[in-house]
Amino acid sequence: MTGPNRAETPAAKPQSAESAGLAGAPASTDAPVNASSAASAGSIYDLGYRRYDGVRLGRRHAVRALYAYSLRGTFGIGRSGRAKIAPFGLAFIALLPALVSAGISALASQAGGGPALQSPIRYATYLAFSATILILFCAAQAPELVGRDQRYSVLPLYFSRALRRSDYALAKLGALWTALALVFVAPEALIFAGRVLAARDVPAAFTENLADVPAILAITAIVALVMGGLSLAIASFTPRRAYATTTIIAGFVVPAIVASIVAELSGGTIATIAVLLDPSDLLDGANGWLFGQNPGNPVLTAANLPGAVYVPVLGVYVLATVAATIRRYLRITA
Amino acid sequence: MAHDYHGRAMPPLISLRSLSKRYSSVTALEDLTLDLEPGIIGLVGSNGAGKSTLLKILLGLVAPTAGSAQVLGRDVVREGPEIRQFVGYMPEHDALPPDSSATDFVAHLAQVSGLPATAARERTAEVLRHVGLYEERYRLMGGYSTGMRQRVKLAQALVHDPSLLLLDEPTNGLDPSGREEMLDLVRRTGREFGIAVVVASHLLGEIERVCDFLVAIEGGRLLRADSLESFTRRTGVLAVEVEDGRDAFAAALVQAGLQVRTDGHLVLIGLTDDRPYDLVRDAAADLGLPLVRMEQRRHSLEDLFRDEAVAG
Repeated sequence: MTGPNRAETPAAKPQSAESAGLAGAPASTDAPVNASSAASAGSIYDLGYRRYDGVRLGRRHAVRALYAYSLRGTFGIGRSGRAKIAPFGLAFIALLPALVSAGISALASQAGGGPALQSPIRYATYLAFSATILILFCAAQAPELVGRDQRYSVLPLYFSRALRRSDYALAKLGALWTALALVFVAPEALIFAGRVLAARDVPAAFTENLADVPAILAITAIVALVMGGLSLAIASFTPRRAYATTTIIAGFVVPAIVASIVAELSGGTIATIAVLLDPSDLLDGANGWLFGQNPGNPVLTAANLPGAVYVPVLGVYVLATVAATIRRYLRITA
Repeated sequence: MAHDYHGRAMPPLISLRSLSKRYSSVTALEDLTLDLEPGIIGLVGSNGAGKSTLLKILLGLVAPTAGSAQVLGRDVVREGPEIRQFVGYMPEHDALPPDSSATDFVAHLAQVSGLPATAARERTAEVLRHVGLYEERYRLMGGYSTGMRQRVKLAQALVHDPSLLLLDEPTNGLDPSGREEMLDLVRRTGREFGIAVVVASHLLGEIERVCDFLVAIEGGRLLRADSLESFTRRTGVLAVEVEDGRDAFAAALVQAGLQVRTDGHLVLIGLTDDRPYDLVRDAAADLGLPLVRMEQRRHSLEDLFRDEAVAG
């Protein structure tokens, strides 16, 4: 045998696909292990091992495959029906206000109501609706995404393949980021569709709403990166789902509570520090800044940070969570 | 050094140079230097001898503390993903998620080994059939028996058609017939399909039946690496079982000039010629002992490791 570029295969040359197909039925009644003991005889019933001479796509393909598999897994696709309840249920709940809003604006436009009927559900305000649901999504699905592989010791099977440990971490992060972005952007897209299609002058409404799209995409990316990063960093540290779920929720809720108490009590520098450590308030601030609106959040008012600060701080936050996740996988025993 | 069919010199399958691995307080491997050529290689040693650590270093899962290791001519530390495209690994412990079917999971792992999606599915179907999983492969693995799970673990190690297969205690947890089947699969994988295999096991009796080269390690050190033939070239052993009077029987045989060792109910006699058969008969007759069983054994490796003394 030669090295990796082995071309010759001394035994069991590939047989035609037809012979394999033909042989399927009879072999299943044979004693399984002896099914191909006739390999040397070259019988068409032989289902013996065949060499693979096709391409090997290497590490990038491996990472992509893990990413796609994990993304599907995040929504419970390819798993039992029960595994789909939480992700799809939460995604639907996140969509509900937008659905109602789109329905109302459709009715309003039929009834002759104009833009005077300004829905409270707008691009800029949707984060307030969906933040809690996204946190629950993270708490439910991030442990599923990474805890499962630790719980059932699947990691050695991954780490013994064509990827690196850091690739594993990044593929899993990418999957959760994508899932969160989809859950967050779907209602925004629905609002967009509702506003454009219910308008009297569709092209004009399209142009008008298009102006908000960059901000929508930016906040979608930021929300996904921040929430996904923190959740996965936490979930990667324990195979126990219950611990991970609780800690993820606490990871979002506790800093927010601390920030609001501090802002209430003191304000000033301490409040600023508390906000800088709280992902929820930072996201709220970034959201307001991106859409050019005052978030009207008393905690942010107390902290009194310039709008342009939120996004870079969140960037640091994301990098820290990514680094923690990668580090975890570089050190985990497998 | 072996040569390929163009006459080019090929690197050894596995090449270790002063390889050591220390954990904070424990030395898992100590100064291993070894070149291995393709074949079925048995890696034997008691539990904790460093077998699993060596396999993990070969996979690039664990970094050596000192020294170097090459697999298929590539460095395990620097070229992990490249090596692992051509290496299959069956870990010792259970490693399968219960909420996936064997088909889905193995096909997924095939892709993570670098196979395109279509090829991954085709190879999965073939390999699962090869290890003897048929209709069950569509069911969730949570409902599988230990034997079925071991088969899936072997299948995932074979699905990308590796050049080298690393098996860590493949018969772990299997019943006797399951062990036979697993060993047969290992033997065929090595012999008929031309895949180099390293089987780590603490069960010498099993390993000597499948491999043609043996590497024995103990306490992280290399005891011996040689062909199976040279390990067992010594003469055989005659095992005799008598009821009661075992010690008197053994004593009589020692007096007759034979090399004798006892093991439970058995009296083991070093066999260099035909003389012991007559002596056994005579001793049993003299002592009036009923002979329950008498069989000639090839010198088992277990004897070699436990006690070098029997036959010489």
